[in-house]
Amino acid sequence: MIKAEAPSARPEAAFVLLLMQSLFWLIAGLSAAPFVLGGEIHMAGLVVATLLLGLGTCLLAIGVLWRSRRARGLAIALQVVCLFGTAVLLLLPIGFNRGPVSLMVNVALPVALVVLLRKDGEPFS
Amino acid sequence: MFDIASDHAIGLYAGLLALPLALFAIRLRRPSLVPGTVLGASVFMAMSGAIHLGLVWTHLDETITAALFVINGLAYIALSQLYSWRWWRPASVALITTTLFGYLAYIVLGFDTPDQVALATKLIELTALGLVLVPVRGERRWRRSRWATLGVAVPLLTFVTISVVCIDALARPDAQHAHSGAVLQQTNDVATPEQEAAAKQLYDQTLTAIAPYRDWHKAWEAGFRPGGSPSLPSTHWMNQRNVERGYVMDPTHPQGLVYANSMHGPVLLGAMFQMRSIDNFGPDPGGPLTAWHQHENICFTPFGFEFSLMTPTATCPLGAIDITASPMLHVWSVDNPGGPFAVDIDEKVVKRIDQG
Repeated sequence: MIKAEAPSARPEAAFVLLLMQSLFWLIAGLSAAPFVLGGEIHMAGLVVATLLLGLGTCLLAIGVLWRSRRARGLAIALQVVCLFGTAVLLLLPIGFNRGPVSLMVNVALPVALVVLLRKDGEPFS
Repeated sequence: MFDIASDHAIGLYAGLLALPLALFAIRLRRPSLVPGTVLGASVFMAMSGAIHLGLVWTHLDETITAALFVINGLAYIALSQLYSWRWWRPASVALITTTLFGYLAYIVLGFDTPDQVALATKLIELTALGLVLVPVRGERRWRRSRWATLGVAVPLLTFVTISVVCIDALARPDAQHAHSGAVLQQTNDVATPEQEAAAKQLYDQTLTAIAPYRDWHKAWEAGFRPGGSPSLPSTHWMNQRNVERGYVMDPTHPQGLVYANSMHGPVLLGAMFQMRSIDNFGPDPGGPLTAWHQHENICFTPFGFEFSLMTPTATCPLGAIDITASPMLHVWSVDNPGGPFAVDIDEKVVKRIDQG
């Protein structure tokens, strides 16, 4: 007997998580903008870079939704870089935030994305 | 905003406990025709429900709030299991949206202050909202309107939620925070005569010791170096040798000096003592008069003293890292309305000096 299965929804779930991640970066970029107005001129570069990262992540989310293999690869690479950065910051004695929100956004979210975008089943073929 | 309120901690435990239970419930029912996004939303709603129900016990003295937690929690738990129901999506969207707006109303009206448990719950709910709305391949019902709602509601609600939390934290910092990101050392409320005398002695000794540095060339010779852009109203000049040697509140070896960037060159505003370790505040001879402060969750950039504040979603701009600065104590050598040991110097004072 052939059992009916729901189509894989992993790309759609990954889309939602990537959308959330892009929003977090857009918010980070926008929240730093007032400091540029306060005289921190170099911060302008970081604001623009962060907004572009947010926008790029949003585009990656759309690519993942379209089952693009390139978008999937880039999204995984982005999450690996995020996880590596977070691991370094967690290990250094610099007072990196270890609260539940920080762990959710900087650890759980990238891990969930790597799991959702892993290469078994064929949602990206 | 970055703390866990003592009466909210139980909610966090309840939410974590609900995670395996919700996964087990899904495994038990084996709903093969239900998309994974729906099951993900079910798990997140079960967690949010458990967090709300967990908070009831610590809010029993607030009847209305406790009742709302019960209603909210039960509604989330019920909807987390009713994903096969025809009206599950509209009901879930309505519940999540109402809960988010209800929470924001509580914050705006001052009935609650944002903390880590509340923020984590809101992020879970916003993610659940996205998972409820996102159509999967093959689904045709309300596809276009669901995409439209997802594209507008999730970004909008995320921005509104984070903005309200951020503005509230800046506008209404709690008693221990001088302003967002700066935590004050806990001291007695009113200075004793002995503490007043000790504070005056520290002030006089520091002013005498840093008097030569009114000439910034002398400060430069002594090893103080400016950090950050000279376009800022004032700049901290740090002495790395004094930082590394770990002098503790030594008036002759302050870790930093603060200069106003006036049209006629740097003008000394005061000194800064800084502890070497981030874990302990320094000695506090003047009690409340000489309370140290510590900047937590600041986004430190490679450009020295240029920084921003970490967002409520624990994110910094690209290239900046979240750090906690070692505890510090300023001694202002110019007349500062906030006092000679205030966390900040009054902007008007700096502006007046900057304009010469």
